[in-house]
Amino acid sequence: MEKRSFSKIVLALAGLLVGLVLAVFITGRVNPSASQEGASFNFSASNTGVADEVVEAALKTYVPPGKLDEYYLFASGGHSGNVFVYGVPSMRRIRTIPVFTKESSVGYGWTAETKEMLGNFTWGDVHHPALSETNGEYDGRWLFVNDNANSRVARIDLDSFTTKQILGPIPNIYGPHGAVFLTPNSEYFMMASRFAGPIPFGKYAPIEKFKDEYYCVLAAIAIDPENGNMSLAWEALLPPWSYDLSDAGKLVSDGWMFLTSYNTEEAYTLLEVNASQRERDYIVAMNWKMLEKAVQEGKYKEIGGAKVIDPRDVPGSTYLIPCAKSPHGVDVSPDGKYIIGNGKLSPTVTVFSFEKFMECIENKDFQGEERGFPIVNYDKVRVAEVEVGLGPLHTQFDDQGYAYTSLFVESAVAKWSLTDFKVVDKVQVHYCPGHLCAAEGDTVSPDGKYLVALNKLAKDKFLSVGPSHPESMQLVDLTSPKMKVLFDNPVDPEPHYAQMIKADKIKTFEVYPKDEQLEGAVYKKEDARVERNGNRVNVYMMSYRSRYYPDVVEVNEGDHVTWYLTNTDFDEDITHGFAICLYDINFEVQPGQTEKIEFVADKPGVYPFYCTNFCSALHQEMQGFLIVKPKDQQ
Amino acid sequence: MKNLIYGRLNTTGRVLFLLSAALLIASLFFPWWYMNLVAPQYPEGLPMTVYANKIGGRIDIINNLNHYIGMKEIQEEDFPELKYMTYGVSLLAFLAVLTALLRRNWLGLLTAGLGSAGGALGIYRLWYWLHKYGTELDPQAAMKIPPFTPPMIGTNQLANFTTYTGFGLGGYLLGIGILLMVLSLWRFRQWDEKSSSSASLPSSS
Ligand SMILES: [Cu+2]
Repeated sequence: MEKRSFSKIVLALAGLLVGLVLAVFITGRVNPSASQEGASFNFSASNTGVADEVVEAALKTYVPPGKLDEYYLFASGGHSGNVFVYGVPSMRRIRTIPVFTKESSVGYGWTAETKEMLGNFTWGDVHHPALSETNGEYDGRWLFVNDNANSRVARIDLDSFTTKQILGPIPNIYGPHGAVFLTPNSEYFMMASRFAGPIPFGKYAPIEKFKDEYYCVLAAIAIDPENGNMSLAWEALLPPWSYDLSDAGKLVSDGWMFLTSYNTEEAYTLLEVNASQRERDYIVAMNWKMLEKAVQEGKYKEIGGAKVIDPRDVPGSTYLIPCAKSPHGVDVSPDGKYIIGNGKLSPTVTVFSFEKFMECIENKDFQGEERGFPIVNYDKVRVAEVEVGLGPLHTQFDDQGYAYTSLFVESAVAKWSLTDFKVVDKVQVHYCPGHLCAAEGDTVSPDGKYLVALNKLAKDKFLSVGPSHPESMQLVDLTSPKMKVLFDNPVDPEPHYAQMIKADKIKTFEVYPKDEQLEGAVYKKEDARVERNGNRVNVYMMSYRSRYYPDVVEVNEGDHVTWYLTNTDFDEDITHGFAICLYDINFEVQPGQTEKIEFVADKPGVYPFYCTNFCSALHQEMQGFLIVKPKDQQ
Repeated sequence: MKNLIYGRLNTTGRVLFLLSAALLIASLFFPWWYMNLVAPQYPEGLPMTVYANKIGGRIDIINNLNHYIGMKEIQEEDFPELKYMTYGVSLLAFLAVLTALLRRNWLGLLTAGLGSAGGALGIYRLWYWLHKYGTELDPQAAMKIPPFTPPMIGTNQLANFTTYTGFGLGGYLLGIGILLMVLSLWRFRQWDEKSSSSASLPSSS
């Protein structure tokens, strides 16, 4: 009996011990830092003279050390050719992504791959970033941007925040400013001409032939749903007006797209005056699904290497909606029911109903036609003209049924209701906002919360830096009934448009995976080598904290050198740089990455190379020599 | 003394041996020992975990860092025991099951003895490797540090790194398994048929 109970006790104890060990092990794995969480942030303003609302605003934008922002803001960098990434609400700039311009800080434009992507252009004019969408929601996979100067489009992969493809120049399109948007499932990235011109590129036509021999096009760039790869699918021919901006239909209006036009006067000099004569220009409404089908049926002509379709050959695909004088932005409401034209030269935004637009088409309720396109009856299709203020340019939306319109001339943002079309609030911004960007504000389900006004001028707002002042972005709080400017942020030239996405939608990777099949990659120092084949030399180099293998490379003057560098530090944030002194070569390799450069060793002598990106305590020792043997000593 | 060799295990003893076998097999799937290096720039820690047959964790990075102090690269090929330990433990578990089936005390003693000896050898080898890696440093290394032997369980400070070491779940399972065998042999034997029946009598009442 004694023995029996003893055994029970021992068994119970053994079981308990095993359970305990398991429990400790599992809790350790599940939540190792559980005890560190839950620290709250308390603040009490003790400075006299600081208004409560200032303290409140500061607290709303303050993101304490170690904490992360709630949103990513992707802002176009205009003619800098870059995209700037900010965290919201702190407005801290997190990253500059070079797209159309060489950027030595990350060695973009020297590697074989980036050099080829940039082609023969040294700059670009980034206008409109567009985040990829699935069912009208941002999916956080890619960011597309257009180049207004050189008719190109680029894709940035958001797993690495790097530019991965540049397509173009897209044939037949001069200055793709208008219609830069993605369709709700990222089927297409659309762009339309800002400038009319003879097509294809290079064709001559005297300016007096503007009305007859100058064209605009809308280019539909297809996006591979698997890898984001872009290719030109087709183009639609348009009258020689200037297309400014546009948006895709969504939900009920899916399949349509809406482009604003100016210069329907078809002037070709002094546009400031000559393109501002008509009381109304047009929103061009096009059914991209019909056009896509017509292209598949072969109703196109080949011009400049593009499949160009004339929408007049596809009846029912294209209509004109009259809109107050020189409209700038056109924005579709989140439910897809309203199309909002922003007046620019009129103090109103005009709200059109998609349903009534469809009725007009059905009843052939047209008030005329121009260049073969039916003009729908303005009085029927318009549901409201909202007096928002001077110089309305762009409209964004929140989750409460309100719209926000930037007022360039008035330097303000107007908030108005999509139910009764009345202005309910206005906030001053400084100065002259162009675009604005609300949190996920052009998707089918905006978040509200924050709005950023992208201002064209910022004089008096920051310490002077001489005659050219910075531009600015201002963060506006949307959480209370009255809009409030929370923060002023100086920015580099020049913000055009931005998109704001919830941070948790973006999934980055930190280290490139090891891939033995990768061209030029070496992962063991025994494999690092220099190979010669005639006058072509291949260098297979690896780097890890804080050395290169090999660290002395000798070539002959005149050799064509292909240089691979693999960073075998598979460790977060351990980037190595590589620069060859006096050879104008500079790039970097991210953890695990292999990069390739090509050059002709046309300068004899000794050229040190070194790591440019601080990597370790012995970073300064991370160096070596490129020795180029002169022709006469070979 | 004779009884020690010729005796038989009772039911509880047999259950304990079976349990021991299960724990030994389970230990193969969990780390036996771990080392975690924490530094300001590695707040998440750089773990190294030793399993019966492999080394897990961020060895590449630890090696990359260790080269500064001239420590030899840690690689699985250099540890012959990794090739045998799975078999050893499996054999031990097999013997434990066999003991439970045959109930022979001598077999239990052999198994527990082998287990204890193996455990002791394992602990010695762990100390040996710690000592070897910490003291045989390349005299040409960029950073000169005094040779050191990290503790098997505990913490150690080296430059900006704090090293935490200890046995993992697998190690504990293994230890408990061997202890259960010893316990079984110590308390749960029956000396002959008589004592066996007398022991079982009260339970039926
Ligand atoms: Cu380096």
